[in-house]
Amino acid sequence: MKNKDLNILNKFNILYLEDDEDLLRHTTDVLEDFVNNIFAAKTSKEALEILKNKKVDVIISDILLENENGIDFLKLIKEQKGISIPTILTTAHTDTKYLLDAIKLKVENYIVKPINIKELLNSLHDILLPVVQEKEIRRNTNVIRTISAITDSKQVDIIKFIINNLDNNNLFSASYSDIMDHINISKPTLIKLFKELAEKNILVKVQHKTYRFNELALEEI
Amino acid sequence: MFKKILSYFDNFNFSLKTNILIFIISGGMLSIVVLSLMSTFSIKYDFDKLYEQRTKPLIKLESIKDTYTVNIQDTLYDIENKNITYMQAKEVINLALQLIQTNWGEYKKAKDIKQPAIYIGDFIKKFLVTQHQYYKNETLHKSISKNIDKKMININARLHNLEIANHNKDLVKEFAKLHLEINAINIYITSLINYDLTLALNEKRDTEKVFEVIITVSMFSIVLIFLFSVILSVLLINHFKRLHKLLEAKVESKTKELVELNNSLEKRVVQEVKNNRKKDIIMFQQARLASLGEMLNNIAHQWRQPLGSITMIIQSFQTKMQLGKLTDSFIDDKVKDALFLAENMSNTLDDFKNFFSPDKTKKEFSIKECIEHSFELSKYALEKAGIKTYLTMKKDIKINSYYNELSHVFLNLINNSKDALYTNINKNDRIIKVIIKQYKDDVVINFIDNGGGIPQDIAPKIFEPYYTTKYKSAGTGIGLYMSKQIIEKHMYGSIYQKNIIHKITKDKNYNCSLFIIKIPILKEENDEK
Repeated sequence: MKNKDLNILNKFNILYLEDDEDLLRHTTDVLEDFVNNIFAAKTSKEALEILKNKKVDVIISDILLENENGIDFLKLIKEQKGISIPTILTTAHTDTKYLLDAIKLKVENYIVKPINIKELLNSLHDILLPVVQEKEIRRNTNVIRTISAITDSKQVDIIKFIINNLDNNNLFSASYSDIMDHINISKPTLIKLFKELAEKNILVKVQHKTYRFNELALEEI
Repeated sequence: MFKKILSYFDNFNFSLKTNILIFIISGGMLSIVVLSLMSTFSIKYDFDKLYEQRTKPLIKLESIKDTYTVNIQDTLYDIENKNITYMQAKEVINLALQLIQTNWGEYKKAKDIKQPAIYIGDFIKKFLVTQHQYYKNETLHKSISKNIDKKMININARLHNLEIANHNKDLVKEFAKLHLEINAINIYITSLINYDLTLALNEKRDTEKVFEVIITVSMFSIVLIFLFSVILSVLLINHFKRLHKLLEAKVESKTKELVELNNSLEKRVVQEVKNNRKKDIIMFQQARLASLGEMLNNIAHQWRQPLGSITMIIQSFQTKMQLGKLTDSFIDDKVKDALFLAENMSNTLDDFKNFFSPDKTKKEFSIKECIEHSFELSKYALEKAGIKTYLTMKKDIKINSYYNELSHVFLNLINNSKDALYTNINKNDRIIKVIIKQYKDDVVINFIDNGGGIPQDIAPKIFEPYYTTKYKSAGTGIGLYMSKQIIEKHMYGSIYQKNIIHKITKDKNYNCSLFIIKIPILKEENDEK
């Protein structure tokens, strides 16, 4: 928990399906501090109603519900309604049958009761982190695109070319002519750009035609 | 020799001996009777013969003699004395002569009569008497008879001559000759009579001899038969005694054996009873263990939920603390909840503990409560199998009995029904229904499930110990046996099973198994009596 930034959870809505009223209430009390909204449901009917009306990011469901089954509920929403929402199953049973069903349904996690809240929160974090990251990437891409729209697009293209051709050791190997083969740019402009990058210690020449891309230098800017 | 025969005889078996005895006695009797009858008849015959053959001819001879002396001689004297005329005398003499002729003829005839039949007496007589018949002298008899015949002719001739003499007046001379002749004939006749008398006397002696012989033989045979009978009887009695002793000894030994067997049997029975009791105790324990397992499952489930909640509450303190949101009201709230949950858990434990406590005291309780409690205890299993339960009754009935044991019985039935429903019936259609009624002094509990009933071949065995249709791990086979023991031995009731077709709910007919439990409602007062 220490390593994980649980603050990322506070933008999300969670649907919690549990037939034990006490447990439902207490878990909700804990989770509501971490997430944007928690929708508590006692039956699959209530849960479906919530799914219809609200935006839900993660479903947490008990397997054994009163007179019904959490796995059947998931099958219903995933296979019939085509709703694809990450799911965590909680259960007091470690029956292989349930476990296999859960795997077939591509459930994100399977938590054995009594619930360890850290485990649950970590699990939520793991599930939601890619979502957060995806959002960030999209945002950054948008930033770059916006910048390239208003400045010289050739320089942006060359930087893209350099970053895309980095090997695992962050080394870039190419001659000017190689670059010029790919991008339509005049040699003086290219030289000027490399010089500027070298001055800012971003692109350090290691040997002939080989440069190291220095990430740390970016932090200092 | 005698001993040899005796021992040979002794070796015969019992029935042969008896038969011989009977044969000897009856044969002896028969022979004695026949012998005595025959001797009686022969003696009678002898007497007849004596009269017919000896006495009668004697009379005849006597009368001939008389006729000669009285009629003829007297008439002759009368003529001599001239008392009567010759003509008168002639008439008398002719009459006398005729009489003599007939008598003589009859005498001879009697002599010629043959003996009419031959009796054994005669054989004996012949056998005994032959050498003694010296007195019988036929020649003598014949000569005398001949002389008499001759004299008769002479007399007749003389009497004819008398007529001539009468004419010649020569009567006196003739008379003298006639008297001489008559005297002579009388002497002859007398000698014949004597001869016949001797014969008669001899024959009488013979008869007496025969009689003596017969008597002796009879006596001898009687004595012999008596002796034989006595010997045989003694032998038989000895045989009886031996047999009796033998049988007595046999009976004694058999009795001894029986007594020993009886003793050992008694011991074995006591041992077996002990073993059985041990077995029963072990079985009861096994059954308790089996239901303990079930109950543990139930407890586990009933504990899971509150345990989950309490765990969550405890963790909530930590998270709230970390987020700085731990307020007094939150703590109060959660602690109250946690305590409530803990109390519930404790109650659950008490419930099960009570159920398994060896509480053997009778108390008054409501049947309804007991059944509901049993359903409650197995709630988890019932819910898991999706079984619906119904309980119908007009009024609650209270009985004075063993609460825990009855509850045990219901748990067994519920468990069996659950297994049957679980394997046979669609999940949405599983029903257990209990109907409670009062019938006279009994409370009747009908326990119905729609699990399809119990197969005919299994039904008679369900109450037997260690009979189970389940896999070894699933059933011990003593649930129903225990239930029957409890109901019959502890509660003096009865339990039996039937397959019925029943409308459990209103819409559909089901094949159902029905357990009928009857328990007498014993009031406190009755019980104390």
